[in-house]
Amino acid sequence: MNVKWTGILAAAFAVASASRASGADTIKIGVTAELTGPNAEAGAYEVNGANLALDEINKAGGVLGKKLELRIEDTQSSNNGAVNALSRLGSEGNLVAIVGSVRSTQVQAMSPTLQKLGIPMMIGGTDYGLTHAGNPWLFRCRPNDGYSAKVIAEFGVKTLGKKKWAIVHSTDAFGNGGKDRLADALKALGVTPVLVQGFTSNTQDFTPVVLAIKQAGADVMASYIANSPDVGVLSKQLRQLGVTAPWVGSPSIASSTALKLGEEALHGTYAIADFSPGSSAEAQAYAQKYRDRYKVEADFYSSWAYDAVHLVAKAIEAKKSTKPADLKAAFHSVKGHKGAEGAYQFDANGDGLHGYNIVKNEKGNIVFVKTISFVPAQ
Amino acid sequence: MSHLSFSLQVLFSGLAVGAIYALVSLGFVLIIRATNVVNFSQGDFAMLGAYALVTFFTMLRLPYGLGIVLSLAVMAVVGVLFNYGVYYPLRERTYLPVIISTLGAGIFMENVVLALFGPQPQPLAKVFSSPGIELGGVFLDSQYLVILAVTAIAVAFQWFFFEHTLLGKKLQATSQDKEMARLVGIPVAWMIALTFIYSATLGGLAGILIGPILFVSHGMGGTIALKAFSSTVIGGFGDVKGAIVGGLLLGVVEAFAGAYVSVPYKDAFGFLLLFLFLLVRPQGIFGERVAEKA
Repeated sequence: MNVKWTGILAAAFAVASASRASGADTIKIGVTAELTGPNAEAGAYEVNGANLALDEINKAGGVLGKKLELRIEDTQSSNNGAVNALSRLGSEGNLVAIVGSVRSTQVQAMSPTLQKLGIPMMIGGTDYGLTHAGNPWLFRCRPNDGYSAKVIAEFGVKTLGKKKWAIVHSTDAFGNGGKDRLADALKALGVTPVLVQGFTSNTQDFTPVVLAIKQAGADVMASYIANSPDVGVLSKQLRQLGVTAPWVGSPSIASSTALKLGEEALHGTYAIADFSPGSSAEAQAYAQKYRDRYKVEADFYSSWAYDAVHLVAKAIEAKKSTKPADLKAAFHSVKGHKGAEGAYQFDANGDGLHGYNIVKNEKGNIVFVKTISFVPAQ
Repeated sequence: MSHLSFSLQVLFSGLAVGAIYALVSLGFVLIIRATNVVNFSQGDFAMLGAYALVTFFTMLRLPYGLGIVLSLAVMAVVGVLFNYGVYYPLRERTYLPVIISTLGAGIFMENVVLALFGPQPQPLAKVFSSPGIELGGVFLDSQYLVILAVTAIAVAFQWFFFEHTLLGKKLQATSQDKEMARLVGIPVAWMIALTFIYSATLGGLAGILIGPILFVSHGMGGTIALKAFSSTVIGGFGDVKGAIVGGLLLGVVEAFAGAYVSVPYKDAFGFLLLFLFLLVRPQGIFGERVAEKA
């Protein structure tokens, strides 16, 4: 090894140890985010939301007299990437909580590892089963699909008065779970869908899906689609092949990416939205702050992470402790914390929110229609 | 909707998607023939081409036609850089280091684009502003029509170029036997560089054509390349006719499997076709059986 390389290595070690030293008196929260891969846009929003909350808390003096710090790991938009990211965070050994993934399928994959680690993970995935599989460490910062399905069914059947339903869904944990809940919710209202059609994410051509909807003669369409680009491709082909039935979808059809890609093909559609700037003063304030700082419109990909970091800080303050078991207890005693997503009250399963907003796409602008809420099961 | 128009609708979209597979697959084949290696970043050429058009048309607001010409020129430059940066330094080695080098180049290109353009997918305008035409109950998307027409022209051009021009014949000679080509005075290194330029441009063209349908994202090359590679194998590894027929066949089989059997398993049917070919006719449709050397 020559002198030059020795020098570079020494400098590298110095930088590495310096960064460790500076982090010694902070409270660390892990973040698993999709920074690379097909869903990298959602990962960037998650980090944006978390950072916004972090800076607010630190500016106000931190928590227990210490600054908060985020330790961010990339999930590469995949399940095994998510598990690896969580393992890397776990091996640091000093994290008080983790802001997990917005993808149900990744949360499902990380769940066993999390249970072994035994620290709370705030999640944004909305698959009903995630918080109903006996893992006490999951805390959901968005309403689950059990609620979303009830809201979609109620809105479509009662408000729009439609009985011939086509359900289109992606075939991952989120899409499949949502489809099952929606079929159940419709059944409770006496409706059997005329078509249930799945597709794999990142499909290049939706012609078979659209033709199936046409042939089934549906007068309303509901969707559970995980990825926004799929919404964009599907919406354009739907309109081209002449499907004009009203469309009530899961939140992805009102995401900023879907709006940009689908353009006028998405005009007039309804979405359920956990985050809607018009729904509360807190949501409006968050949307304003997010726009000022990042120059893009806020959506649910960031708002849940923003709430998650605030909830962790609040839990630490409430118990004056950073022990995982104390935080877990603190989350369960949260009553009516007003976040960007809504008023939080964690039930025994770890679900923090219990209602959904209905929004409408009015020529590209997302307009708040109404909120439908349910009483949390204890 | 009648049964006939239903089937025709499915056939039409299958052919259009298949044409994209065919264009990318042609790029694979040309490089396989010239260098005996598979270029695993062929799909990323499509991604780069689409981003080039986003830059020229959406961002710099140049006319669409000029944007396409400039994008293809950019891709030609990418081909030159790719040849001298990724292939040329390893040309005396076996195929494995070159393949790994192309894989690395693909990861590099995707992440450079991610860093420059950000993660949000970009929309891209179609060639014609009209959405398409309705013909006997079948909706013909204008962009799909453009894809089919451009693929046909590209294939005709390629045939003419390779069979009827001196340069094309030199390229063919190079791909058949480099030593012999060198002996008769053909500049082999330059011919290979030209092959990279051509297949990068062809890949970029595929990206430009599919961009308005699938949107432009840094990961868009991956799926297309996987399917195009299957087309290459189905058609006959390293066969130009095979790349086209294989691509179209794969697109049509997927579309019909999606319409009549199962949409979620559409991709599986594409790969089932690949599997059947590997099992029953591993040399592909047009490939020649490679005899074991004694």
